[in-house]
Amino acid sequence: MNSFLTRFFGPRSADDAKNRLRLVLIHDRAEIPPGLLDEIKNDIIAVISRRLQIDTAHVAVNMDDEAGERRLLVDIPILQGTRPSGRLSARPPASR
Amino acid sequence: MESIVITVTSGKGGVGKTTSTANIGCALAQLGRKVCITDGDIGLRNLDIVMGLENRIVYDSVDVVEGRCKLKQALIRDKRLESLFLLPAAQTRDKTAMNPQQMTALCDQLREDFEFILIDSPAGIEQGFQTSIAPADKVLVITNPEVSSVRDADRVIGLVESAGKGPAQLIINRIIAARVARKDMLSVEDIMEVLTSNVIGIVPEDEEILSASNRGSPVAISGKGAAAMAYRDIARRINGENLPVQMPRSGGLLHRIFGRA
Repeated sequence: MNSFLTRFFGPRSADDAKNRLRLVLIHDRAEIPPGLLDEIKNDIIAVISRRLQIDTAHVAVNMDDEAGERRLLVDIPILQGTRPSGRLSARPPASR
Repeated sequence: MESIVITVTSGKGGVGKTTSTANIGCALAQLGRKVCITDGDIGLRNLDIVMGLENRIVYDSVDVVEGRCKLKQALIRDKRLESLFLLPAAQTRDKTAMNPQQMTALCDQLREDFEFILIDSPAGIEQGFQTSIAPADKVLVITNPEVSSVRDADRVIGLVESAGKGPAQLIINRIIAARVARKDMLSVEDIMEVLTSNVIGIVPEDEEILSASNRGSPVAISGKGAAAMAYRDIARRINGENLPVQMPRSGGLLHRIFGRA
C-alpha cells in the first residue's frame, strides 16, 4: 500500500520531517543531549530491576514539550506474572 | 531622518539571506524609500555579486571603520534604483575586522542618510552574527521548509531574543506548494507550530531567482514571477502596510499529482 502510494504520489516525507523536527527542538531547547536520555534510561532500569522484573528491551524514556512545559515521560513495561523481588519491607539502601 | 536597521540572518548557510536582503532592499527602494544594503559577511562577501555591483567596489565598510575613507566614498549607488545604495564588506579580511560597537557606530552614521539600513548577516552564530545584529532595530530570520534550517532558525530566534532584539520575524523561503500539497514538504503551518515567531513573508521556489543571480539583477527590480511578488509584499509590510501574509497557492490537480517541481 505504501509503495503504491509512493509510486503514484511521490514520497510523503513531510510527517517524518515534522516529527524529527519536533524531537530535535525539544532537546535543543532543553539543552539536554539525546544521549543523556539513554544514560538516564539505564540508571532507571538498574534501580527498578532491583525491585521488579521489567521488560528492559521496551523501556522508553522521552522528553516532551507541551506548551513550553517540559517533562520526562518514562514507560516501563513490567513482565507478566512477576512478583516484586528482594525483601518487601526493605527500604531502598540509605544513601550515606 | 527616521531610520530603521534590519538584520537578515538564519543560522544555517545557503537558505537565501543574501538573495532576500538584496530583493527586500530593491523592493523598498522601489517604494521610494532611501535604502542602504550592507554586507555583514566580512571575508565572504556576496551581496555585491547578487546585486551585480561587484565591479564598482573601491572601498568597503572596514575601510570606513579604520578611517581609510569617508562613508560616502564606500557607498555604491545602484544605477537602476536611485534611492538604493550598497555598502560592501571587505573581502580580504575576516570577522574580527569589525566588532559590534564599530558596526553600531557605522549604522549610526548611515542612519543620517537612510530610512532603511539592511544588514546581510553571515551564516553561523559566532562573532560575525553578533556584530551584524548589534545595531538592529528588527531582525528577519530566513528559513527553508527543511528540518536542519528550521532547527537552526529556532536557535537563532532564541539568540536574537536573548540579545534583546526580539521578537524576530520569519521569512519562509523556497517553499514548493505542490510538494506541500502532496505532503512531501513541511508546510508553513508545520513550521509555525514549532517556531513561535511571526511570519512576515513566504517566498516560493522560483527559477527566476537563479537567472537573476546569474545576471546580477535581483528579481524584485523587474521580475514577474512568484518570488518577485513575494519580496515586494514583504517590503510593503516592512514599509508599514497592513498586508496579510498569504500562502502561495499550489498548482492544479494534475500538477499536484505529477508535479516534481
